[in-house]
Amino acid sequence: MRAELKRRSVLAVTVAAVPALAAGCKGVGALGTPPREGPEVAVLRGTIRAEYVMIARYRSALAAAPALRATLSPVLSQHEAHLAALRARLIVPAGAPAQPSLSGPPRPGPAAPGAPADVLAGLAVAESAAASSLTRRLAGLSPSLAQLLASIAASEASHATLLRTRRGTG
Amino acid sequence: MPWVNRATDAPASAALQAVLAAVNAAIYGYGVAGARLGPGPRAAAQQAWTELQAMRDDLASMLAARGAQPAAARAAYQLPFPVRSPHAAASLAGYLEDRLAAAYLGLVALEDPRLRSWGAHQAQACAVRATVWTGQTTAFPGLKP
Repeated sequence: MRAELKRRSVLAVTVAAVPALAAGCKGVGALGTPPREGPEVAVLRGTIRAEYVMIARYRSALAAAPALRATLSPVLSQHEAHLAALRARLIVPAGAPAQPSLSGPPRPGPAAPGAPADVLAGLAVAESAAASSLTRRLAGLSPSLAQLLASIAASEASHATLLRTRRGTG
Repeated sequence: MPWVNRATDAPASAALQAVLAAVNAAIYGYGVAGARLGPGPRAAAQQAWTELQAMRDDLASMLAARGAQPAAARAAYQLPFPVRSPHAAASLAGYLEDRLAAAYLGLVALEDPRLRSWGAHQAQACAVRATVWTGQTTAFPGLKP
């Protein structure tokens, strides 16, 4: 009886230690705290999906209005940095079914109109909406994930400001 | 029970003190920047300075309500780089806003949903002002690269 209890305790510790070991393989410092399963993972997946859509929008806008490259390229790079930081937080167990949100851009973004002012206006609206949406999802998240999402939302809000400024000055 | 409240509020008070310290540094910094800016940007710096004064008073009230003594401003602050031109002054304003955003992200780390939400909105406002000053954006305002 006593021996069985002990074995159970050992097993419980082993199971509990697996996420920590898995995180250790990639460097705990680089990854931060692995997200808990549950609502936090759903928020991460949703945010990753939104970043893919945003990146597709920028690529489509660049194709439609190459004159905007100097304005749009740095912003696109920042969205790619968001995506990388978000994906680093999502640890997918080996053998888990592939998630559409992790297999690359699911579909091309909406076709951007060609006039630069319209392209900038459309992207600015998308950035503002993304920032608002992220800010509403912070409650209940771990402190470090909440800070990351709040910082990404701040970045997106500043993108909207930059795009509106460039639109005004041509 | 008062000791329970104090225990709950200790992280909030520390985070609010950090915001207050960043606000006090920014009040000093905007004063330095304003002296080097042309008339239009100087008016913007003065407005930011006035809003920061109001924020400092709000933060002092929030701390007092938690039984904490608001930390006093220092007489002077070390600037991150020399400020001898309008361009450097605008860069300083952008730097101050990023430091403010970092302090507001400290509120986002709290469990209190109201402080978390308020901190997130303030961090956004800081990032927007930084972009107005510098004409640039960053991927992670307020977070160390």
